[in-house]
Amino acid sequence: MVFEQEQEEVAPGAVHGHRLSTVVPSSVTGEVDYALADADLAFKLHYLRGVYYYPPGEVARGLATKVLKDPMFPWLDDYFPVAGRVRRAEQEAAGGEGDAGAPRRPYIKCNDCGVRIVEAKCDRDMDEWLRDDAPDRLRQLCYDKVLGPELFFSPLLYVQITNFKCGGLALGFSWAHLIGDVPSAVTCFNKWAQILSGKKPEDTVLTPLNKPVQGQSPAGVTAPRSVKQVGPIEDHWLVSAGRDMACYSFHVSDAVLKKLQQQQKGRHDAAAGTFELVSALAWQTVAKIRGGDVDTVTVVRTGAAARSGKSLANEMTVGYVASAGSSPAKTDVAELAALLAKNVVDETAAVAAFQGDVLVYGGANLTLMDMEQVNVYALEIKGLRPVHVEYGMDGVGEEGAVLVQPDADGRGRLVTAVLPRDEIDSLRAALGTALQVA
Amino acid sequence: MSMGSSAQLRRLKPLYQLVVNNILAIVAVPLAAAVLLRAASLGPEEILARALALRPAHMFLCAFLPAAATVLYLMLRPRAVYLVDYACFRTNPNCRVPFATFLEHSRVWPGFDERSVRFMTRLLERSGLGEETCLPYAQHYIPPSRDLESSRAEAELVIFSAIDDLLAKTGVSPQDIDILVVNCSLFAPTPSFTDMIMHRYGLRKDVRNVHLAGMGCSAGLISVELARNLLQVAPRGARALVVSTETITPNYYMGKERAMLLPNCLFRMGGAAALLSTDGAGARFRLAHVVRTLRGASDSAYHCVYQEEDDRGNVGINLSKDLMNIAGDALKANITAMGPLVLPASEQLLFALSFIARKVLNNRIKPYIPDFRTAFEHFCIHAGGRAVIDELQRSLTLSDEQVEASRMTLHRFGNTSSSSLWYELAYIEAKGRMRRGDRVWMIGFGSGFKCNSAAWECIRPAANADGPWANCIHRYPVHIPDVLKH
Repeated sequence: MVFEQEQEEVAPGAVHGHRLSTVVPSSVTGEVDYALADADLAFKLHYLRGVYYYPPGEVARGLATKVLKDPMFPWLDDYFPVAGRVRRAEQEAAGGEGDAGAPRRPYIKCNDCGVRIVEAKCDRDMDEWLRDDAPDRLRQLCYDKVLGPELFFSPLLYVQITNFKCGGLALGFSWAHLIGDVPSAVTCFNKWAQILSGKKPEDTVLTPLNKPVQGQSPAGVTAPRSVKQVGPIEDHWLVSAGRDMACYSFHVSDAVLKKLQQQQKGRHDAAAGTFELVSALAWQTVAKIRGGDVDTVTVVRTGAAARSGKSLANEMTVGYVASAGSSPAKTDVAELAALLAKNVVDETAAVAAFQGDVLVYGGANLTLMDMEQVNVYALEIKGLRPVHVEYGMDGVGEEGAVLVQPDADGRGRLVTAVLPRDEIDSLRAALGTALQVA
Repeated sequence: MSMGSSAQLRRLKPLYQLVVNNILAIVAVPLAAAVLLRAASLGPEEILARALALRPAHMFLCAFLPAAATVLYLMLRPRAVYLVDYACFRTNPNCRVPFATFLEHSRVWPGFDERSVRFMTRLLERSGLGEETCLPYAQHYIPPSRDLESSRAEAELVIFSAIDDLLAKTGVSPQDIDILVVNCSLFAPTPSFTDMIMHRYGLRKDVRNVHLAGMGCSAGLISVELARNLLQVAPRGARALVVSTETITPNYYMGKERAMLLPNCLFRMGGAAALLSTDGAGARFRLAHVVRTLRGASDSAYHCVYQEEDDRGNVGINLSKDLMNIAGDALKANITAMGPLVLPASEQLLFALSFIARKVLNNRIKPYIPDFRTAFEHFCIHAGGRAVIDELQRSLTLSDEQVEASRMTLHRFGNTSSSSLWYELAYIEAKGRMRRGDRVWMIGFGSGFKCNSAAWECIRPAANADGPWANCIHRYPVHIPDVLKH
């Protein structure tokens, strides 16, 4: 935890001067309990890290911290579970379901404890920062915390406001995946921006209340193939990977996409979409740098049609794809894309029903996450659109994860790879060739 | 005494009160009747003859002496002071501090150890504070900042909003203010708050302004008394603006002494502004009495609420364990002084008789506690903490409804120090309980140890519930459990 220290040794260009404060809902919620669905608990070990970059100028200059904080109070009135804290259910009476040693089910106590705001500074220009393309720059702009070790006092959301020397602004959101998936998170942040701009956002839907899935899987059953069982997890909800993980973002331009689409012409199966093409490219590249050992991938997608309309939910589909026989490093991108389009084995229900603690992202396999439908560039602050948005993830297992997002103009894609730090350089090199257009 | 006779005595009490309180009328009526009868028996000619027999000198004196005495009395009598109106700072939800947040901040900051955090948790649970109390912006940071600029910002926010509200309510222009008294105990920057107000509102060059610092939580009534005294010598119809507040930002205690952690848990943001005048036109209350009792001569009372540094150099306010006893003693002294001024004759007679009986006959006779409900309809007891209110309820034998204003103010606003009395008055008015002619007793306690009280009489109750309670009065009163578990 970094507190304001005047004599702090600051590495040149690093983000420093962190000041923490808290924002709470503006009215009393009344201490209700928010039950977590089984699907929510499946994702509890993961943390979304999203950064939005806003250009310097008149508007950014007018965005003092207080201006950014004030709309959060009514915002949290609607999203009061996000301001709550994790608790564990009271111990079942002896003879109740489950054995006495089973961990008690977590839930969110909506006690208005609030969301943590972090203010920080960076002595570099934002352009310079972006051009540098340093790996894991996300970690500096999103407050690097997880749920635990003091579970009861861990906020579910941190918002970091970083001011660059040029006047540019970066907003970093650290969101516990437990409380909602990427579409839920992005809608939540967009609503805050709407309140800030004076618009009235849509109503937040928090009903029907979550209920545990019926028909629990019996103890002793193995985890679904998409995920890896870990734990048991006590109060520190992070599985430290043996190796340091880092996020690295790269852009897949419109031209490259067109080339990939060209390559799959002539195939008699139906054309794969951009997510399949881009993630196939990433799959192939990772397989190459790992020397071929990436036969199965987990695929996490937002099926826009399948959403229930609840504002906070984990409703992404989880499945896996096994490459048929040949090593992905040697297979065509088009071939892999076709597999991703048609051969996904859906395990969403099995993952939710599974009793133990699991790692979805990077646990059992390299995980490909589809964020294409998520409108990240809609987070406009007083009409100011972000110039760049990148979403990464913390709590990812060693197998790694790849997140495919829309880019600034909507035609290309931004891909964030979460991989062991020592693989990042190889990835950069391999991408150099893969992303050439000619 | 047997049960039967004490029940009989209780039934006789209202008759007794009726007789004693109206003793003048009861004596005057028969006397006047006797005079008339005597005059009638003498006959008009006889009376005229006797009147003409009087010497002019006697007649002149008969007329002149009473007239002169009356005029002298009217001239030397202190001017009546009226409360034109008052306004309290309306808290903003942006400053709200729920329990969970307060406790989390204490845990997250490494300066507080485990024991201190547990102590503060237990304190908060039993404090009687609710989930909507407010702390200034700077105290939402971990750790809270206590710098001068943030302290000024808090003071300006509270004071200016209260004064803006008051000027809007009364329609008085800042140029019409003749006297300005501000009290803020623990923050007194240079230039003072009075200068800050002068600067912001453009008050006149000849305003009599005074800032009272270090006078503790009872300073609100000290300011009122000072304004009253200044109004006696100001031109007729002068107006005095009295502002009471406490600035919390610079006073957060960052150490580990348990007795000094209490103020962190109880003190919250708040302030009030009141306009007093000797011109009663349009006024809402009349100030009947102010009684101040100071116990600083005694060692234990002096050290009861004491600002000092702990072993590590952190400054905080040390509250002694005797606080309740000392408060009780100070209260007794105050009501002994206040009693003769406000109690009806019936109660004073009973008290005097019981006092004499104890002295002359037998010390084991229980002292008669005057029933202050005969003197006041409403009670505003400083919301210093749950223990203070409980103690006063017990000493004055007040009902739950009579201390409701204090308890609910503590719940909604916390301990706002000198302005808490004004929030309580606002509660009573927002609930629509104030009527013309109702008498209000404000009792404040503070470091020193001081117990100050003021008696007001209502001329015109508030027209609506507008004020600090506007958006939450419909939820009150709430039941406050003994321990609020989290």
